[in-house]
Amino acid sequence: MTSRSQNLVLPEGTSTLIRNLIHERTGMSFDNGKCDLLMDKLSPLVIERGFSSYLDYYYLLKYDETARPEWQNVMNALSVQETYFWREIDQVRALVQTILPQHHAQQGKSPIRIWSAACATGEEPLTIAIALNEAGWFERASIQIMASDASSKAIDRAAKGVYRPRALRSLPLHLRDRYFEQTGADWRIRNDIHARIKWSIANLIDERQIAPLASADFIFCRNVFIYFSEDAIRRVVRSFAGFIRPPGYLFIGAAESLLRLSTDFNLTEVDDAFVYVKRPRVVSTMEY
Amino acid sequence: MTNAQPSIGVFTTDTDLVIQVWDAALARLTGISEETALGKTVTALLPDLEQRGLLKRFQRSVKDGVVEVLAPAFHHYLIPCAPLTPAKHFANMQQRATIAPLRDGDSIAGLIITIEDVTERLESERELATGLAAGDESTRLNAAETLSTDESYDATPLLGALSDNSWRVRRAAVQGVSRRAAPEAIAALLNSVVEHHHNASLLNSALQVLASSDVDTLSPLLQLLQGPEPDLRMQAALALGEQRDARATGALMNALKDDDANVRYHAIEALGKLGAVDAMDELADIAESRDFFLAFPALDALAKIGDPRIAPRVVSLLEDDLLREPAISLLGQLGDENAVAPLTALLNTPDAPTDLIAAALAALSDRYAERYGEGRHIADLTNREISPAGVQNLLEALDAPGKENLRPLALVLGWLKRSGVERALTRFMGRDDLRDEIIEALVQHGPATFDLLIPQLESEDLEIRRSAVVALGRIGDARATPALVNTLHDANLAIDAANALGQIGDPQALDGLLSLIGSDDASTRQAAVSALNSLATSQMRKRIIPLLNDPDPNVRESAVKIAGYFGYSESTSDLLKLSSDPIERVRTAVIEHLPYVEDERVFNVLTHALKEETPNVRAAAARALGNVDAPETVDHLVQALADEDVWVRYFSARALGRRRSEESIDALERVVAGEKFNHVRIAALDSLGQIGGRRSAAIAAGLVRDDDPDVARAAQATLEKSRQ
Repeated sequence: MTSRSQNLVLPEGTSTLIRNLIHERTGMSFDNGKCDLLMDKLSPLVIERGFSSYLDYYYLLKYDETARPEWQNVMNALSVQETYFWREIDQVRALVQTILPQHHAQQGKSPIRIWSAACATGEEPLTIAIALNEAGWFERASIQIMASDASSKAIDRAAKGVYRPRALRSLPLHLRDRYFEQTGADWRIRNDIHARIKWSIANLIDERQIAPLASADFIFCRNVFIYFSEDAIRRVVRSFAGFIRPPGYLFIGAAESLLRLSTDFNLTEVDDAFVYVKRPRVVSTMEY
Repeated sequence: MTNAQPSIGVFTTDTDLVIQVWDAALARLTGISEETALGKTVTALLPDLEQRGLLKRFQRSVKDGVVEVLAPAFHHYLIPCAPLTPAKHFANMQQRATIAPLRDGDSIAGLIITIEDVTERLESERELATGLAAGDESTRLNAAETLSTDESYDATPLLGALSDNSWRVRRAAVQGVSRRAAPEAIAALLNSVVEHHHNASLLNSALQVLASSDVDTLSPLLQLLQGPEPDLRMQAALALGEQRDARATGALMNALKDDDANVRYHAIEALGKLGAVDAMDELADIAESRDFFLAFPALDALAKIGDPRIAPRVVSLLEDDLLREPAISLLGQLGDENAVAPLTALLNTPDAPTDLIAAALAALSDRYAERYGEGRHIADLTNREISPAGVQNLLEALDAPGKENLRPLALVLGWLKRSGVERALTRFMGRDDLRDEIIEALVQHGPATFDLLIPQLESEDLEIRRSAVVALGRIGDARATPALVNTLHDANLAIDAANALGQIGDPQALDGLLSLIGSDDASTRQAAVSALNSLATSQMRKRIIPLLNDPDPNVRESAVKIAGYFGYSESTSDLLKLSSDPIERVRTAVIEHLPYVEDERVFNVLTHALKEETPNVRAAAARALGNVDAPETVDHLVQALADEDVWVRYFSARALGRRRSEESIDALERVVAGEKFNHVRIAALDSLGQIGGRRSAAIAAGLVRDDDPDVARAAQATLEKSRQ
């Protein structure tokens, strides 16, 4: 047990119960070696709730219908919000320079929808918006960018649009100067770019929550599957496949792969970037 | 649209083979009408039946009651007739016929014969077989994949494709043949291997089929292992390893003496895969022979077998420049405490493979910790054997750049009580992956590390500061108190620092900790209160009691928890007064701590709170009453099981368990049976377990298969406790 959680009672087997419940409801996976870390992160919530035992808190999360908002506190406590602008930019570049022109030529004037599905504090969707703006796409096509995260705290910060210098460490300087204004030690994103994003809170494992967002042409879901179990990844990707608009492009992180799972997406390489494209549905002649 | 016409026709005969039924589908398939067929014997209708050797199949079925199948590959047809549509390869309709007895009770009354028109399938099978011989790869591949995946086709043509020039075609053929794995196909394959083994593609494909098939191929493979051709013996050894069948151990051990080194090599690998304990000595002999080609796989095989009894023989290999590294790894994997001295002796030498030895020692320690709870034993042995040169090797390895995994080095260094070690370790305190090892090491070094840790409290890296705080707390040296008190003001460290000060228990921390009890953060307040409760100081009473009337509710709440914990008699009146505090959190704290106050008013305050307070305070009162000895407590808690708030009911159910009153069993049973929320039912079940006895066991027994796994688990635990 780590130091922060030492003032709480942890009955035998309770950490496994909590770990499994969190996996079931959020998809986030904590192996045995990470259970102490999990308990450590939850300890303030247990104390804040007035409990002295993790078991009581487990029952609260599992059975008390009135405690649904508590799950938001759990997501806030567990979510990893360390990200930065221009991260893994190859995929964004491939979208802007190659995939989008083809898509636009084929789909005509229908609005293009891009969803950043685990946007943390907003660096990814804003990076996409900057890249699209640099390429003049907002003048050429109707583009909607939606961004969501399971953590309300992260979305609150994203909605403010103010970032520490560390978040801009990979952004080329000329873009920083063009799109950000310095406020004290921090940087504020330009209003016209920030206003292009529609922010919301959504748990990827809950199909009802993602349904309105996932009917997009392009889904970015990067650096989140590293925290998910294979089962959870499979569930989420199956949901994506169900909602995404054909042809359906899915971008996941460089450290992640869907190849060992059986999914409805094929891996393809565009401009040195890996992109998953939804497999076309095979229509049996018996259906005619 | 598919053709809805059935492709199977049926006719029946009596025991004299006189046709009794001739159905419409058969009439359509054969062109022979019902009128023509009925009443005739089968030999009258099909005059060449005897000549084709088929009559005896009919007779055997009538006589012995067996089912006879006439496969189209051999017989082509039973009833000669033209195909329904013209066929490229067949003049006659190709038929699959089944002749089965018609039973009347225990006796045979005649035969039922089904005729299936398989012309179309055989046509496409022929086309696919032709495709397998095509010049272009894509046609051959398409044919091989179709034959492989569609199991209605005969797999025999795929055997030829096992030696195709294209690996894609060979792969499809291997998959197809493996999937079917019919004994005759395997036999044909083995023949191919024997006859054409000089064709490497065929040989490899065939062995892949053998290795992945479910058919018992042990005997033919053992035959091949003893055959005249070295290539074949080698491939047989390989396949026997893949099949992981322990019955091959003896033959593979014999193959260790094969004239051909490649055969010996694959036999070694196969024995490793088989986990062949019987072969350990022979494999160790090979390793000790220092044969450049075979010694490495022999050590590898010993590692796979994983039997620690071989470790003493591996020790001698540490002296061999060539085999030293795999021997070190093997000792880490299999060795016991006896491996520590030779490994450490090697570590003490110049140019020792330090990282590998550290990894082996760490693996030994981890295994002892996991199996016997005695990782420290390996640490002590290492500490005894290591020389200054060995320590220096470890320190230099820790400093070498570009290493990902430093844990083994940090762990082993942490065992060593030598000057310079702790200084080296503190440099890595900020690394997440080494945090536990470094803290443990520094704690083991005790107060000696004090001077190194104090400056780390000023580090720019939060993780280093945090590690230093945790280590200082665990070392427990009061000299660290002032420095730790200073870190209480760092919001990121306050909780860890409070915990550390609680572990040290130095009264000098009193003021610093008291400054945190008004924190807005509940976790910080809680940590400060816990730490204050650990301080042994006569000042506490004097400082805390006035704070019970502090204007800050956070301070009042914390003061209540401390005064309640120590049970100061002078604070009783204040505590009772605070049970009416305007702030709910303060009242909750008071109610939770009143059971530890000796005053006759306490019981009434608690029972009043249980009925009249807010839900949170009522829940606290339920928890508190569980710790009150008065017999009337049970009635109050039983009534609270009907409270409108679920958490009051939950804590009341739990509190009744602590009272261990059999009078509450009826009420708890009602909760188990009728409560809407499962966690309240679980609490009631847990309490029944604490009360115990036959009734509790009987109530729990009905729920051990509940749909909710938590309820089922609680019921099972209650059942077991009650039986005890």
